[in-house]
Amino acid sequence: MATKTSERPKTSVDLITRLKDNLPVVLVSIFSVILFILIGIKGGAPQIFNIIVTGGMWALLATGLALVFGVMNIPHFAHGESFMVGAYVAYFVFTPLNQFFLSTGSKLLIYSGPFIAIIAAGLVGSVLGIIIEKLVFAPLRHRTKEGWIMNAFLLTVGLSFILTNGTNLILGPNFRGIPRYFDVKPVEIMGAFIAVDRIVAAGIAIVTIAILWFFLRRTKTGRAIRAVSQDETGAQLVGIDLDFIQTLTFSLATAMAAISGASLLFMFQAYPTVGVTPLYFSWYVVMLVGLGNIAGAIVGGFIVALLQSGTQLFIGLSWQSVVPTVVMILVLILAPSGIFGSEVKGIQEQ
Amino acid sequence: MLQLKNLDSGYDFLQVLWGVSFEVESGEFIALIGPNGAGKSTTLRTIAGLIKPMGGDIIFDGKSIKNTPPHLISRMGISYVSEALNLFTDMSVEENLMLGAYAVKERETQLQTLDYIFQLFPRLEERKDQLAGTMSGGERKMLAIARGMMSNPKLMLVDEPSLGLQPNLTYDVFEALLKLRKQGVTILLVEQNVNATLDITDRAYILEQGKIVMNGPSQEMKANEHVRNAYLGI
Repeated sequence: MATKTSERPKTSVDLITRLKDNLPVVLVSIFSVILFILIGIKGGAPQIFNIIVTGGMWALLATGLALVFGVMNIPHFAHGESFMVGAYVAYFVFTPLNQFFLSTGSKLLIYSGPFIAIIAAGLVGSVLGIIIEKLVFAPLRHRTKEGWIMNAFLLTVGLSFILTNGTNLILGPNFRGIPRYFDVKPVEIMGAFIAVDRIVAAGIAIVTIAILWFFLRRTKTGRAIRAVSQDETGAQLVGIDLDFIQTLTFSLATAMAAISGASLLFMFQAYPTVGVTPLYFSWYVVMLVGLGNIAGAIVGGFIVALLQSGTQLFIGLSWQSVVPTVVMILVLILAPSGIFGSEVKGIQEQ
Repeated sequence: MLQLKNLDSGYDFLQVLWGVSFEVESGEFIALIGPNGAGKSTTLRTIAGLIKPMGGDIIFDGKSIKNTPPHLISRMGISYVSEALNLFTDMSVEENLMLGAYAVKERETQLQTLDYIFQLFPRLEERKDQLAGTMSGGERKMLAIARGMMSNPKLMLVDEPSLGLQPNLTYDVFEALLKLRKQGVTILLVEQNVNATLDITDRAYILEQGKIVMNGPSQEMKANEHVRNAYLGI
């Protein structure tokens, strides 16, 4: 037991040592700000909006990954399939609904269609999350915790195969997409025209993250989720029901991935393997910031979006996957626990 | 209040406790003493539900809690302050305390208990916004005990509170336990510091190699030749 006291820094000298201790964070922040300004100068408002939309979506997906890893110690490789399910649900809800609403001619109904589709995707996602947790992870957890991380990882890979190929079997490999959610003129922002779909997607990402943040910080159940991720035994000792919290967490993460799949339907059409790209990018994010770090995952989502956008603008579109991968390798070499670092305690300790 | 009947317990293939029986009456302050590896922590962990017993029974308030999961045992009124403390290190002191009252439904009661805890441990109130992981060892023990009290438990199991503490801090922790005892909380204390423990407790059980070898009022235990030789070094 360490008996060292570490006080919070109060003077400017302490601040400098603190900055030195957090060198990776400082460097990444400076780099991000410079990149953001450069992108803003060259690409203007559309690019900045692009960053907000993709960044928000990566953040939404990555928070789910961070939650699932932090609370349940599951390296979740079927997260992309939750995105895929969300996209399909939105497609199958929106297409007939929109036709019906168009026939009624009511503007209010027509504009609420996309939101209904996205909420439906979130609901289906949360139910799917509960089913998967109860059917797959809970039985394993109750049987043995030995080799948990590896076993859980293999289970998620298996799940991903089943969901992808099951969808292929039932719905076929066809692409199902929509040209746009809102059939209205793009809005002019700072001299550029931005599609309403993008604005709505950015809004949904930001609102969902804000709600999640509030839930985790301010509500009793949210605190319990964080408690489980910080000390599982401690959580049990204060009367927190682990099974409930773990099922809830998995359900939340799945719902968030489904919401991002649904709100990006105009960008990513629904097809069985649509989840691969979002999965990889959300893993980039959590590896960049540190596994299980929720606040980091939010910031990281936007950093990765910046990187993507910067690569497109300054190096070339075909380098879009290369640059993040190189950054990832550098992070793994230089700061293997991620730029923000994180200590995840839980099952692996027992 | 709490009754252990021929309890067998341990980890997988390693049985640690062999037919341990003892009783704790309401309002008592009981010490569980023994050498390293005797099974003291295993006893507490088994009562708290973190380890499933291999045999025997645990009765709390007339009900068997042998197969009850730990979160329900905690909600029944048993609070376990573990050796490892199991604090939520990335949360503030206040958040840790509020989580201690997780199972308490009424917010009023939670806040009242919090007030009371802050009276008892003014140091925690001064540091309520500090992250638990950045506190000193003594403060963390205080926080763990305080968190354990937040659920208004009927019985507190306290595991090695003096471990790794300098003597004056140990004194603070014991002082806190005495205050608790005055409030009528039943305490089962596991301690290495046998001399001080026998001074503050009512009765003591001696656990050696997974078996209860002796028990009686603490003052008598202190005078016992075996205890004097083995634990007090007199």
